[in-house]
Amino acid sequence: MRNYHGIIFAYQTTPELRELVSARSAASLPFCGRYRLIDFPLSSMRNAGILDCGVIMQRNYQSLLDHIGSGKAWDMSRRSGGLRMLPPFGLPEYHTGNYIGTIEALNAVSTYIRDIPQKHVVLMLGSMVANIDLDAAIRQHESTDSDITAIVGDAKPMGTHHRFIVGPDGYVRGIDLYRRNDGAGMPGLEGYIIHKEVLLDLMDRCKAMNLYAFHKDALTLFLSGGGKMDVYIHRGYATAIRTVEEYYKANRDMLDPELRRQVFPAERPVRTKIQEHVSTYYGEEAVVRRSLVADNCVIEGEIEDCIVFSGARIAKGARLKDCIVMRGCTVEKGADLRYVIADKVTSFSEGTVLAGNEKLPLVVPKGTAI
Amino acid sequence: MKKSCIAMLLAGGQGSRLYALTQSVAKPSVPFGGKYRIIDFPLSNCANSGIDTVGVLTQYKPLQLNSYIGIGQSWDLDVSDGGVYILPPYLGAGEKGSWFTGTANAIYQNLAFIENYDPDTVLILSGDHIYKMDYADMLREHKEKGAALTIAVQEVSMEEATRMGILNPGPDGYVEQFEEKPKQPKSNLASMGIYIFDWKKLRAALIEDENDPNSSKDFGKNIIPSMLAEGERIWPYRFAGYWRDVGTISSLWDANMDMLSTTDINLYDESWPIASRCPICPPAFVGENARVTHSIVTEGGEIYGVVENSVLSPNVIVEEGAEVSYSVLMPGAVVKKGAVVKYAIIGENTLIDTGARVGTEPDGSAGWGIATCGPNIRIRKKATVPAGAMIYTGEEV
Repeated sequence: MRNYHGIIFAYQTTPELRELVSARSAASLPFCGRYRLIDFPLSSMRNAGILDCGVIMQRNYQSLLDHIGSGKAWDMSRRSGGLRMLPPFGLPEYHTGNYIGTIEALNAVSTYIRDIPQKHVVLMLGSMVANIDLDAAIRQHESTDSDITAIVGDAKPMGTHHRFIVGPDGYVRGIDLYRRNDGAGMPGLEGYIIHKEVLLDLMDRCKAMNLYAFHKDALTLFLSGGGKMDVYIHRGYATAIRTVEEYYKANRDMLDPELRRQVFPAERPVRTKIQEHVSTYYGEEAVVRRSLVADNCVIEGEIEDCIVFSGARIAKGARLKDCIVMRGCTVEKGADLRYVIADKVTSFSEGTVLAGNEKLPLVVPKGTAI
Repeated sequence: MKKSCIAMLLAGGQGSRLYALTQSVAKPSVPFGGKYRIIDFPLSNCANSGIDTVGVLTQYKPLQLNSYIGIGQSWDLDVSDGGVYILPPYLGAGEKGSWFTGTANAIYQNLAFIENYDPDTVLILSGDHIYKMDYADMLREHKEKGAALTIAVQEVSMEEATRMGILNPGPDGYVEQFEEKPKQPKSNLASMGIYIFDWKKLRAALIEDENDPNSSKDFGKNIIPSMLAEGERIWPYRFAGYWRDVGTISSLWDANMDMLSTTDINLYDESWPIASRCPICPPAFVGENARVTHSIVTEGGEIYGVVENSVLSPNVIVEEGAEVSYSVLMPGAVVKKGAVVKYAIIGENTLIDTGARVGTEPDGSAGWGIATCGPNIRIRKKATVPAGAMIYTGEEV
């Protein structure tokens, strides 16, 4: 067993995800036809041999619990160790809002973290689309004398991010916070390999000073105190999902075979809950182009540039272009949908015409019948 | 642990009439209908019927089957007081031990396993049939009729009856006679090879049969006739639903084609799910110039060419300009650019290289048949595999 313990932050929800997170957290957003965003960090952990893992959640976590279950899909249903779901405990009584920052979320489960038997902790974001090779990151971390290795990307990220600036000695010199564009350094992917005692020390110091943020406060304290931090560069696709536009674009990116290969490489499979036991049927008059179609669908109509989750029924004469259709949706004949994100089990009756826009995809909330 | 009914699944046969497809695997683990392997059907039927203890008798090339079944988790059969048990032939202390010499002998050699559960009834299944059946309903009828043995039967045409095991019922409905492939069938009730035995009577019959040196240790040839001779009550349980034996290349191909419609068997009916153990792969991708019609495609697939009237398992790749029609492509099969596959079965991880042609449309000639390529074969560029051909793993084409 590796001397590493995983912590995944799955409590975040942002208002910019609108109706998509009205009954779920960002980490349990359905992605690419059959996955949930949290499958990426869980699979990264599993593929690196880390089977002991805590998932920090706060509210709207029913769908996350449903999806993760006992952690069996990631081999984390263990007799000793394994997966632990961590709702808030030990919060001060006056606290009623969302976690203000990552450090506050960690402090809310601090007794759990103190009891971690492993020497190192791997922190990951629950709502990041990236197939990170944690095994390589850990091996690199072990070859240095740094207490922290930050996982950074090699591509320009879409939204707000922090940039890590590496000094001539190879260690991180500073962090450029809340950038929206390119700049010096490399974009952080909010993944860290960190010595457990160093993490606990940062949590304690932040708590004493009423500080909550991980990057702005904890890492800045660490660096100003002369701490050694390294970066591991993840080469390949990576994007955090914080807005409907980012969600839509990331799904659409998966229609590109090269990007799909980066996110779903054969050597590091993305694991998820198994649900479907039947293949998809394409009808006599089906027209399907540049689309991803999960199992257990019946496609009789026309779909182009779409991502279709399992259980969809697309009737003859229905036409979908540039849509994301989540699990269990029904589209009847003559319906015409463009730039629509149809949440789970929505149905579109005969002749429904709906259109969003690439910059403003139309979100149809879960269970809607039109 | 007492169980009222346990199932014994005969999965040890070689399936020699599937030739290259069972060269290295047992028949029950041959891929079927996109996401499945043949054994998924009886295992799912057991789980759906509330039978949670299943002994799977293996003998011929069991490695893939063993790892596929695992502890039965894919069918929700991994329960604490039952489960799926792989039962290979074994040696006892000081005994010589032997391979299973027949279907009845396979059960005989595992009497101790059954005794562990002290069941009232034992359900005997075979691992080479495609069907959805509620064994609980058959069990209810078995009890109602007070039968020692209930045999599931299908009504077939008189012409088909000459090729099957036929049960002739008497005026009271109970079976009077069993005939294997009768020239002049007296009834059209064909045995489906699905039996429910009263456990005590089965036990006695198996022990008696084992001691008969002239017996071929077979349920159809020996056990059923001897129980009839002894006057035991044998009830035919009529089953009208879809049921196919997939023991030959053409019947395997036919049954795969049946999966393209829901009139015969509806795999999308969630009230009776057929479960399987599949690798987790991304959804199937259908590319710019692809055309996929009247076909089954499974996750992990990448389709850039034309696919018509075909059944594709997980991770199948059909490149641009390739044409696949009326064919069955097993997991990981690859059809390269410009290759044409018609009326064919392509085994697991077999590659049909650029411009190769496998199979042809039916031409009415006597020699025509489904072209079959076994697993892990590379059909070379521009090579031709004629209709009815059988290409084995290791052959160069």
